[in-house]
Amino acid sequence: MGKAIVKIIVGLVIGAGLWVATMTFDFPPVFRWLFFGYAVLGTVVFLILDAPTMKVMSGGKALVSLLVFYAILCTVFISGASLWPQYDPEDEKGKIVKILKGKPNILDPWKADEVIARTKELDLKAKELTERIKALGATQAPAGQDAGAAAAVPASASGGDVLKIGEEQWQLQECYNCHKLKGEGGKKRGPELDNIGTLLPQEEIAKKILDPKSYKAEGFDAEYEKGKMPDKYKDLMELKDVQALASWLSTFKNTSVNTPKPIKMK
Amino acid sequence: MKTWQRSLMALIALLALFGGTAYAQAPGTPPVEFPYTGNRTAVWIVAQLHILFAGFILGAPIFVVISEWLGYRKQDPRYDRLAKEVTKVTVILYSMTALTGGLFIFVLLATYPQFTTWLINHFFIVFAVIYPLLFIGETFVLYMYFYTWDAWKGNKKARHIALGVLLNLIGSITLFVIDGPTSFMNTPVKAEGVSPVEFLATASIWDKMFNYSWMPLNMHRLVGNVTFGGFVAGLIAAYMYMGSTKDEERAYYDWMGFVGNMIGVGALLFLPFMGYLLAYELCDYDASICPYMMADQLSMFFEMQGAMIGLIFLASNYYIWLSMKRIEGVEKVRMTIIAPIVMIALPLVMTKVLTDYPAPDPKSLMFLLPMLLAPAILGRFIPITVSSRTVIKIGFLMVVVGNAIWLTPHGFAPTGAKLVAELELPSDWNFLALMPAKNSAAFTLVFVTVVNYIIYNRAVTQGTIVWGKIDYASQFVLIFLAFSAIWTMGLMGAVRSLLRKYFHTYNLLPDFTAESFTPTLAYSAWYITGITVVFYAVVSFAILVTLRASHPKEHASEGSPVPAGAK
Repeated sequence: MGKAIVKIIVGLVIGAGLWVATMTFDFPPVFRWLFFGYAVLGTVVFLILDAPTMKVMSGGKALVSLLVFYAILCTVFISGASLWPQYDPEDEKGKIVKILKGKPNILDPWKADEVIARTKELDLKAKELTERIKALGATQAPAGQDAGAAAAVPASASGGDVLKIGEEQWQLQECYNCHKLKGEGGKKRGPELDNIGTLLPQEEIAKKILDPKSYKAEGFDAEYEKGKMPDKYKDLMELKDVQALASWLSTFKNTSVNTPKPIKMK
Repeated sequence: MKTWQRSLMALIALLALFGGTAYAQAPGTPPVEFPYTGNRTAVWIVAQLHILFAGFILGAPIFVVISEWLGYRKQDPRYDRLAKEVTKVTVILYSMTALTGGLFIFVLLATYPQFTTWLINHFFIVFAVIYPLLFIGETFVLYMYFYTWDAWKGNKKARHIALGVLLNLIGSITLFVIDGPTSFMNTPVKAEGVSPVEFLATASIWDKMFNYSWMPLNMHRLVGNVTFGGFVAGLIAAYMYMGSTKDEERAYYDWMGFVGNMIGVGALLFLPFMGYLLAYELCDYDASICPYMMADQLSMFFEMQGAMIGLIFLASNYYIWLSMKRIEGVEKVRMTIIAPIVMIALPLVMTKVLTDYPAPDPKSLMFLLPMLLAPAILGRFIPITVSSRTVIKIGFLMVVVGNAIWLTPHGFAPTGAKLVAELELPSDWNFLALMPAKNSAAFTLVFVTVVNYIIYNRAVTQGTIVWGKIDYASQFVLIFLAFSAIWTMGLMGAVRSLLRKYFHTYNLLPDFTAESFTPTLAYSAWYITGITVVFYAVVSFAILVTLRASHPKEHASEGSPVPAGAK
């Protein structure tokens, strides 16, 4: 018992030492607790090492102890996993819907579900229009208008919209995971892009996105050789989205940031 | 269970495979909607259960045949008995593998008919010819191996061992073959400048099989299965030890638990490196996988993995500690002081070396190899030694330190986007969260465990093992190891599958269903625990049915204590 108390005291002293050390080095409180937790774990380990021998159990007692042990394991594992910060799937769901919107489903090229839904929608609209026309009188309908012609001509997106789409693509494609921009994101996997607008025109930025081997960032030779920038965006992104992203990136002309010089390779 | 019943079960599984395929080919079949769990989780549950059973039946025969060979070579009947008992359980679980495999195909076809048909079409020769042939071949050889056990002994034993080797050969090929479509879903074939769809249209079956992650996955699963099989053998031993009433039975199952644990730990030592190789290849395939794994959506899954691996290493070393306690004369065993010095210095030196020369730069080995070999070389010239007890205790301290380094995250936020300064490591200490530090932590755990086993071996040669007299707590350690290993397999299986993000086949075939998002770790933990419990219940039942029911009476000669030399 005396030895156990000594171990607990030593553990607490180490824990307190770690707490003070982490405070001195400006660790956030959550890390102080984590390091204190390590000291507690160490103490528990050393207490268990010299714990008295467990008595042999048999029959019902062994079975009950086994079931209790399993219950403890399940509880510890589930609660242990639940204690870590949890990712919110809602953050991703919206992104996925946006990314996949309009993407062809090669398993269902005829988009059976969409076609059925659209047919029903159009059918309802047709009925509604027929009733309105009936109410107005068929003779008042404008002459020469082709009822079946598609009226919708997509209006060209304004400059602001394009930039908005570009910024959205930056988020959706998670470019921030490798590239730092506006002081956010990036883990030195790819170059910081705050001054890319000065170094490359919009068309060349788009070219780089579509073909990562077209340009090499100065000082990123190893990354270029290994093909770190995925060669997948030409397949995953719509051309208009690539252009919008390039257009948005070309607005970044912060010369105080040392964006590496792009070297044309192709 | 009789042979005809097992054969019927295997037949049902094959019928499920082909019947299911036919069902999926029927035009306009709407997908089934699983209540409560949803379709994706339903597939996950069945697939994970199938993989657990398959993992055991592929992993166990590897050490079964080695054990049988050791028994033959050393003329020690305990090895032969261990091999036969594990094979008995394997035979029952083989039927469960077939059953869950059939169920897996049915659920997959009912929930994702278009995708499943697409995948089967791409690997038609594999699913329709190679896999069934291997499955039938393995069934035939496994039952032959089991039923000829008693008939092929004496001078026919070598023939029986050869049959076991053949079984492993077929099993490993089966694993490699089925890993083809699995790894293809993660890293489908691609070529620079060609669209994946176009390239796939021209790719041969070999191109599809031999994708980026195929061989790393094969290696990872092969080693993982041996680890898993070893720990389940330990579980079998623990159950039987707890149920034993005779000293000689306890002595035998104590020995079996030790051997099972040694196999499990022996393979476990390679597992972090195999996992690293797989992750390296995945990141090499597409660099955006790396942040998704380590820094974003799945980062906390890896924290949990770190916690689990740390606990497994702690428990396995604790088992060695308890095993040492039952060796008479252990106090005489000493070891060079260089060993604990290297243990203490290893995390720091290795982090520095791997930061300056990141893996796989061979320059790092120039520093690390001399350091790791120092106890063996310098120990011969420096006469200062310390007691084994001290070395092991320092080892435990370093296991805790290693766990701490492995576990320390870059920040307490599930994604990089949510990371704020109050939750982030100070920049000067960020190296603790980087790969060099994590690798050095993993290596420290491995190094300590190896040193502990060396000490154990010395204790065995210098003292006498009193089999059957191990601390009863050790049986709970064995059960814990098996449970944790299975849980971790479930966790990492979920990670590998989730790496496909919102694709059925990464970057190629999007999953348009509403379930194609990353679930939370807590949600996953509930299902992983549930799957582990179900698997455990079945395995426990199989052990009770096969071993408790046929309690051997002919094995009365393996009493304790056993001279150390006869280990």
